[in-house]
Amino acid sequence: MNKQNQLTEINDSGKSYIIYKSKKGFDLYTNFSKKIILNSKNVSSFLSRRYKNKLKNTDLFIGFFGYELLNNLINIKIPKQKNINFPKGIFYKPETKISLGNNLNYKNNNNIKSKNNFKININRKLYTKIFDKFKKKIKVGQTYQIKICTKYKKKSKIDPLDFFCRLSKSNLAPEAFMIKDNDYSIISCSPENLITKHGSLISTKPIAGTVKKNQSMNKTKALNYFKKNIKETKEHNMIVDMERNDLSRICKVGSVKLSRTKVVEEYKDLFHYVTLIKGRLKKNVKNIDIIKAMMPGGSVIGCPKISTLNLLNKQEKENRNIYTGSFGYIKFNGDMRFNIIIRSILNFKNASEISVASGVVVDSNAQHEFSENYIKAKALIDLFK
Amino acid sequence: MIYIIDHNDSFTHNVVHQFSLFDEVECDNYNNLNKKKLDKASVIVLSPGPGSPIDYPSTSNIYKKFKSKKKIIGVCLGFQQILFCEGAEIVEQKKIFHGFQSKIEVISNKSLFKKGKKFKVGRYHSLKLKEPFKNKDFEITMRCLTSKVAMSIENKKDKIYGFQFHPESFLTNNGNLLIKKILSA
Repeated sequence: MNKQNQLTEINDSGKSYIIYKSKKGFDLYTNFSKKIILNSKNVSSFLSRRYKNKLKNTDLFIGFFGYELLNNLINIKIPKQKNINFPKGIFYKPETKISLGNNLNYKNNNNIKSKNNFKININRKLYTKIFDKFKKKIKVGQTYQIKICTKYKKKSKIDPLDFFCRLSKSNLAPEAFMIKDNDYSIISCSPENLITKHGSLISTKPIAGTVKKNQSMNKTKALNYFKKNIKETKEHNMIVDMERNDLSRICKVGSVKLSRTKVVEEYKDLFHYVTLIKGRLKKNVKNIDIIKAMMPGGSVIGCPKISTLNLLNKQEKENRNIYTGSFGYIKFNGDMRFNIIIRSILNFKNASEISVASGVVVDSNAQHEFSENYIKAKALIDLFK
Repeated sequence: MIYIIDHNDSFTHNVVHQFSLFDEVECDNYNNLNKKKLDKASVIVLSPGPGSPIDYPSTSNIYKKFKSKKKIIGVCLGFQQILFCEGAEIVEQKKIFHGFQSKIEVISNKSLFKKGKKFKVGRYHSLKLKEPFKNKDFEITMRCLTSKVAMSIENKKDKIYGFQFHPESFLTNNGNLLIKKILSA
């Protein structure tokens, strides 16, 4: 049986499955023997449990931590928010792994087109108000950079595989993934790796700075654009020092190094400004320590992390669910790979939500950032057409 | 042993790693300090952090208690904390420097560092020292070349040193050397 047929067959069988971008293509995980729904009480024991490594390629747990759970883990309080009762985190133990190529072919001709439009939870006026409030917080030094999150929602049923295949064709993101389960699905074209851990080596690759590709913008020009743009440069610098800090909590003294500094990575539609930071873990550091040090990923929150999280949580009236959480896997041998969940659709109880955020620094402009948010959401909103 | 007081910053562990190159380091949060470690330490470092010195009265108390008994080093908020305890006013500045790389210059011949030396540093500060600031024991020893904002203070008598910029930032050239020199002073 060829692999494309296999994909269609698994999808049509109604089984739950996960697809995660690999270096060469995509990996599909299915036949789940365990499903662990995480909450603030069981997350520590889930992360501290040790498993015998049987050296099978399915000796791992794959799933996600939502934003709220990551706050719980580092003892940051979230006031009561509007909630859709979506689980705070879910991990699966797969029994089957299938490698797929980069071209995922699947077409659903019966896609249900829904006529109603997405509704945004913060309009331009309210956004500007929040923006001005945060700008004042920057002036008095309570935060140096903060990301305002807006959410687009609509009632809809979707075929997640159809959405994911179309999304991967237009944007082959290095941390893309999808989850299809009975009562929910997630589709994401996340570009950002937060944790890659092999043995005692760990790395993180923050993105700060994005520019759209067009005929006049090539890789060299993109690098020049980022270098000359003081606002992008400052935001990037801040994230680099913050990620160095987070790695330093768990790494050996002198081992945290910038492995690639401020380089441009090229994707199908855009260029990203990225830095790769590596370190060697201290002895006796456990995976739970790593997760608490690194998550939620700083580049999507702002800086400094604790006071900025507190400002955000006080402001936000609605639960972020998966947005700015992390998806990935923990192998039984302790190795891990996690991304930052952005550019994602969560479909739960026949409603879809897309969250986006953009940064407030001292010299950003509310109108520009509000439009920027819409541009980020548009690629996902367009999938519904 | 060097005891670093963390003010919930996202740069404190860069400071920890930098000081660890030279001595044993302990680090605790400002609201969870350990008296034994405080007493044992030969150097106290006040970390960077959000907000203003007035938000951290416990750190002010520690400064006053250990001034002239132990070497004290302040970074960013820590620098402002020292000045604040010495009667200075810490005020908002028109142009804000977050993630900014600036060129600064050693301007005093009373500095541990050579007068006239210029180098690049990383800055993360909304607030600054209001000037004129006069204190017979404290000398402003470095300034930003363009904005002229005070970038370091030194008090040789009591062995107190402060930097408005971040010696631990990847944006600062030779930050390790700077710390090495201060620690051996």
